[in-house]
Amino acid sequence: MLDLFLPILHALPVVLEWPNILGMVVGVLTGMIVGSLPGLTATLAIAVLIPLTFSLQPLVALGLMAGIYNGAMYGGAIPAILLNIPGTPPSIVTTFDGYPMAQEGRAGYALKIACWSSAIGGAFSAVSLMLFAPPLVKVTLLFGPAEYFWVAIFGMSTIAILLGKDPVKGIIAGCIGLILGSVGSDVMTGHQRLTWDQKYLIDGINLLIILTGLYAIPPAIRMIEKGVVRGYQLSDFKSRPEDSLSRNFWSFVPTWLRSSAIGIWVGILPATGGSMAAFIAYNETKRVSKEPESFGKGNPLGIAAAECGNNADNAAAMIPALVLGVPGSGVSAVILAGLLVHGLQPGPQLFRDTPDIVFGFMWQMLLTSLLLFTLGGNVATRVFAQVMRLPQPVLAPMILCLTFVGIYALSSSMFNVWLMFGLGIFGYLLNRLHFPLAPIVLGLILGDMAEHNLRLTLLINQGDWWSLLHNPLSMLLAGLSLLIMSLPLIGMLRRKLAGTAETPAAH
Amino acid sequence: MKTPYALGRSLVAGLMAAGMLAAPALAEYPEQPIDVIVAFNPGGGTDVAARTIEPFIEKYLGADLVILNKPGAGGEVGFSLLAASEPDGYTLGFINLPAMFAYSYTRETAYSPESFAPVANLVYDPGIFAVRSDSQFETLGDLIEFGKANPGALPIGTSGSVGSSEHLAIQQVQAETESKFNHVPFGATAPLRTALLGGHIPVAAFNLSEATDYADEGDIRILGVMSAERAASAPDVPTFREQGVEVISGSSRGLAFPAGTPDEIVAVIAGAVAKAMEDPEYIAKAESAGAPLAYLDPAAYGEFLTNTSTALDKAWEIDPWVK
Repeated sequence: MLDLFLPILHALPVVLEWPNILGMVVGVLTGMIVGSLPGLTATLAIAVLIPLTFSLQPLVALGLMAGIYNGAMYGGAIPAILLNIPGTPPSIVTTFDGYPMAQEGRAGYALKIACWSSAIGGAFSAVSLMLFAPPLVKVTLLFGPAEYFWVAIFGMSTIAILLGKDPVKGIIAGCIGLILGSVGSDVMTGHQRLTWDQKYLIDGINLLIILTGLYAIPPAIRMIEKGVVRGYQLSDFKSRPEDSLSRNFWSFVPTWLRSSAIGIWVGILPATGGSMAAFIAYNETKRVSKEPESFGKGNPLGIAAAECGNNADNAAAMIPALVLGVPGSGVSAVILAGLLVHGLQPGPQLFRDTPDIVFGFMWQMLLTSLLLFTLGGNVATRVFAQVMRLPQPVLAPMILCLTFVGIYALSSSMFNVWLMFGLGIFGYLLNRLHFPLAPIVLGLILGDMAEHNLRLTLLINQGDWWSLLHNPLSMLLAGLSLLIMSLPLIGMLRRKLAGTAETPAAH
Repeated sequence: MKTPYALGRSLVAGLMAAGMLAAPALAEYPEQPIDVIVAFNPGGGTDVAARTIEPFIEKYLGADLVILNKPGAGGEVGFSLLAASEPDGYTLGFINLPAMFAYSYTRETAYSPESFAPVANLVYDPGIFAVRSDSQFETLGDLIEFGKANPGALPIGTSGSVGSSEHLAIQQVQAETESKFNHVPFGATAPLRTALLGGHIPVAAFNLSEATDYADEGDIRILGVMSAERAASAPDVPTFREQGVEVISGSSRGLAFPAGTPDEIVAVIAGAVAKAMEDPEYIAKAESAGAPLAYLDPAAYGEFLTNTSTALDKAWEIDPWVK
C-alpha cells in the first residue's frame, strides 16, 4: 500500500514550487478565457502552447496544460449559461438548463453551480487518476471493437430521451448528424464519401467547425434580429436568498457523485470524450429525478450534472493516454504530444521511469480543479460575465469575429471558415423550424464510431453478426442500450393503458 | 510572380551552380527566415518531430525556420502546397513516405515523385508484425504456416487505412509465401495496439518504435521487423528477411524542397540537418521520444524516394487496393 502512495506523495513538493503554481494559475485563467470564447478550445490553446513550452521545465509546462484543460471545461459553461452558446462542445448540455436559469435572472447562481460542479467533478477524476490509473487501464483493455460499437449505440440511444415533444424532428436531426459524420475518406476501402472533390473534406469535417457553425452563429443572428439593447444587469449575477449553494449543498451531492462516476467511466474509454460524459450524466440525473419535466426549464441539477460530468471526464481521459498512449479525447491527444515534446513517451514504463513527473501532473490535474473554486467563482462573475453585459447587438458581431478567427486558426484555410458559415445559416434555419440541435451532435460524434467499430468487428469475425454479442460485456451494453431506447415507449404505452383504463370508468 | 529580388537571387544561385565560386555566394543563403510546411495538425507526430529538430537546424544553419501547419486530406493539402511553391530555397516541407504517394492511386494528387527536390531523411521506422505474449505464434514462420493452412481466416490489424505501408507489407508477404490473411484497417496505432493488448485482434502490423516499450515490458512479442538489418532498438528481433520473407517496409519522415530548387541550396540545408542529427542533445531528445533516426543525404534520399514510388506502382499492379 505504501509502495503505491510514496511516489504520489514524493511528487507533491515539486508541484508546490512557485513556478509550478504560477504555471497552473496562468493555465486555469487562459483555459477559462479560451473555453468561454466560442470557436476556441482547449485543444487549440494547448496545441499553440506546445512549441512555447520547449524552454520550460516539464512540470511547469504540464501545469499550464492541466490548467488550460480544466479551466476550459468550466469556461465553456459561461457563454452556455449566459448566451445559450456553448463555449466548448461538452457545454452544449449545460445550455439545456443554464440558459433558462439565466433568463429567469438566476445567472449568478447558475454560474456558481457550474463552477462548483466543474471543480468537484475534476477533483474526483484527478483522484481516480492518481490512485487507480494502472488498474483502471485494465477496463480499457476489455473494450474491443464490438464493445465500442455498443458504447456508441448506448450513447445514441440517449437521443431517445432528448427527443422531447417532437420525436420526428429529433430523429431527422440525428440523421443529419450521421450524414455530416460520414463525410470523408473511408478508412476501410479508400473511397471518398460526400467529399465533392474537395480536398478539405477528405479528412472529414472537423467537429469544431460543425459545432461552431450550428451553435455559435444561429444565436448571434438571433441577437441581431431581436435587437434587444438591454444586456445582463448586475442584479442578474447577485444570488437570490433562496439560491444559496451552501444551503442547498446536500441536494447536489447525489448528482455530483453520480455524474463524477459517469464522467470517469466515459473518460477511461478512449474516443468518447467529454460531450458524451455530459450527455449521459444529464440523462441519468433526469431519469432518476422525481420531476423529470423540470429539466430543460432551468433545473439547477441539470447544470450540476452536465458540468460535473464533463470535468470528471478530464483526468480520467488521461488514464488510457498515459498508460497506453491512447488519448481519450482531442485534448488529451495534444497533451500527449506535449509530453512527447518533453521526452516523456507514454506507456507502461512512464510510471516507472519518471514517477515524479507523471504523479506531479496528476497533482496538477487535482490542484487546477480546486483552483476553479477560487478563480472560477470570482473571475468568471466579476470579469468575464461583465463582457456579457454588453448589449446584444454589440455582442453578436464580436462572437462572429471570434468564430472566424478560431476556425481559421484550426487549419489556416478559408474553406473551413465558409463551411462553418454555411453550417451556421443551416443551423439558423433548423433553429427557426424548431429542430433540436443536440441529436445532430450525438449523431455526428457517435455515428462514425459506431460504423467503424461495427465494420472492424465484422471484418475480424468474417462477417459473423453474432460476434457483436460474443461476450458478457457486449451483451450487457447491448441490453442497456435497448432498455434506454424502450423507456420512452414503455412510458407512452403506460399512459395509453392508463388512459383506456380511465375511459370505461368514466362511463 | 517573381519579384526582381527573387529573380536576382535565383540568378545568383544559377551562376553558382556553374562555377566553383559557391562558397562566398552561399554565405548569403539563407538571408531570410525559411518557411517549413508541416502537412499535419499542431501536436501531431510530424509536427512534434518538426518542432523538436527545428532549433537544432536553426543552430547550424544560422537562420530562422518558421513552421506552418497546413493540414488536410491526410497531408495531401500540405504536400501539394510544397510542390507548388517557389523553388527559391525559402519553402521547405516535411514529407512522409510512402503514405504521400499511396494517395495518388485512389485520387488525383497535385504532385508526383518528380515534384520534389529531396533534402534529407530524418526518421525511418520499420514495420513489424506483433502478437500478444500469450499468442500461439512464436515466429513469423508459425504465422505464415497458419495463413497457408487457413487462407483468409487470420485477421491482421493495421494502423493505417487501405494503401498504407502496413497493408502493402501484408500483400507482399502473401505474394511471397502464398499465404492469405484477412486485412483489418484500424486507421490509427493507438486503438490497434489496445485491441492487441486486450486480445481483440490476434496479430497487428504497425511501426517498431510504437511497440518496443510494450515488448520490453513483456506484454507483446514482435515476430519480425521489416528492415534490411536488425534494428538497434530491438536487437533480439529477427528481420523478415532472416526468416526467409523478402519484405522491407516502413514509414519515413524527411525534408524536401519543391523540384527545381538549386542543388547548392539543397546541400546547405542537408548539411545543417546532418549536423543537427549528430548533436548529442538532439539524439537524446529523439531517443526519448522514440523516433528512430536515419539520416540520408540528398542523393540517397532521392534514390529512396524513387524506389518507394516504384515499389508502390508494382504493388498496385499486382493487387489494386481500391476497386
